[in-house]
Amino acid sequence: MTMRVLDPSNESRVVGGQLAARPTSLKGKTVGFISNGKEGTKGYFTHLDRMLREELGVADVIWRTKSNYSAPADAHIVDEIRKWHAVVAGVGD
Amino acid sequence: MQLASNPLLTSKVYDVADFSAAQELFHANGWTDGLPIVPPTPPAVAACLDWVGMAPDQLLGVEPVRAQPITAEKLAINAVMAGCLPMHFAVVATAWQAMMQEEYLLHGVTSSTGGCAALIIINGPIRLEIGASPTFNALGNSDRATAVIGRAVRLAVINLLDVRPGGIDRSTLGHPGKFSYCLAEDEEGTQWLPLSMARGLPAGASAVTVMAAMAPRQIMNEWTTDPKEILETFAAEMRANQLNYSIYGGNYVIVIPKQLREHIEAAGWSKRDIGEFLYERARVRRGDWATVGKGSVVRDRADRIHPALASPEHLLVVAAGGPAGGFGAVIPPWMGSKTKAVTAAIGACIDCGPPDAGTTRRGEAGS
Repeated sequence: MTMRVLDPSNESRVVGGQLAARPTSLKGKTVGFISNGKEGTKGYFTHLDRMLREELGVADVIWRTKSNYSAPADAHIVDEIRKWHAVVAGVGD
Repeated sequence: MQLASNPLLTSKVYDVADFSAAQELFHANGWTDGLPIVPPTPPAVAACLDWVGMAPDQLLGVEPVRAQPITAEKLAINAVMAGCLPMHFAVVATAWQAMMQEEYLLHGVTSSTGGCAALIIINGPIRLEIGASPTFNALGNSDRATAVIGRAVRLAVINLLDVRPGGIDRSTLGHPGKFSYCLAEDEEGTQWLPLSMARGLPAGASAVTVMAAMAPRQIMNEWTTDPKEILETFAAEMRANQLNYSIYGGNYVIVIPKQLREHIEAAGWSKRDIGEFLYERARVRRGDWATVGKGSVVRDRADRIHPALASPEHLLVVAAGGPAGGFGAVIPPWMGSKTKAVTAAIGACIDCGPPDAGTTRRGEAGS
């Protein structure tokens, strides 16, 4: 005798956003960093900033830090993203 | 059973050969906490919904960050899996509604490396109706009701928000409360106001308080009857948590079992008095971080004082525990005030105004 059971997962998933177009090159572009503000991000983003400028020709790197490291980026940071060509949202501890 | 063929249930159906096959199906899909589950059959799920008078598609809320809708049917499926009886479901539903309030920071607390769990505290008549036992083993395997309610909340976090270890759940350690972390208050064994009333709900209301909490830190002091000396031990444990875990203030729960509680009550101390005492005593100097190996982050702020509580109201005092033993517990917040405890009434009318203004949140969960 079979047993009938129900799926416990959330089947009604919200359609997520679409990926932005990928830049073919970062040369001359603006890249944003969104840091969670934790101690370990400073060294990581400092190193990445240098790599992007020196090795990939990035024109400008914008640093922003979330006000709460466990919450989504603040609205004013999200608004800024549209001015950037790429963004790095790092998780660091 | 009439509800066995409830045509309104819309979840995907699986036909499995037997109980064992159901276990393997659920484990294989990552739908469990590692323990066996009660197969969520349509009649069992329908019975939960029927008990609280909810339609399967009733929206209990939307997880704020990932915009995941939480419906009564999906929550009931997870409640059945955890072992809930229909009468337990109202508590599970209200706990979830409380967790979806913005100040709880549901996504943050379920994904953080900090590894906290949803602590659920039950007040009011429903404790007696469901057989919750607030005495022996209050923070352990005290009774069926609190065991399955706490587990149901966790299973729903896993399945409805995809919060699985290594996925969205980035907990470094976690703690045993992530299986189940639920207790009832011993309202019959104390003169103090129930936690729900201390947080603004009316007498006689059944309620749930949720807090994103770390593991309990047990204290012992059976060598005094002086309330100040007893509470000094609690304060010391809070200070230790501040230095060794997180210095930042937030909601703290303290659980005071009967032996110590009677000394404090006999001296005429209320929960409010306890909050005011611990507000003053549970605070540390930032420079003391250097004594526990954290000198590098003291910087130029050594003299800054960090209270464990932003105000006396941030302390949640719970009367619970077995009758003997000079023990107590401090349950720290996940991470300071980034998350806040939320109290919600069970079965409250969402359109009815609260009796007075306050910080307490009220939710609804059926009838």
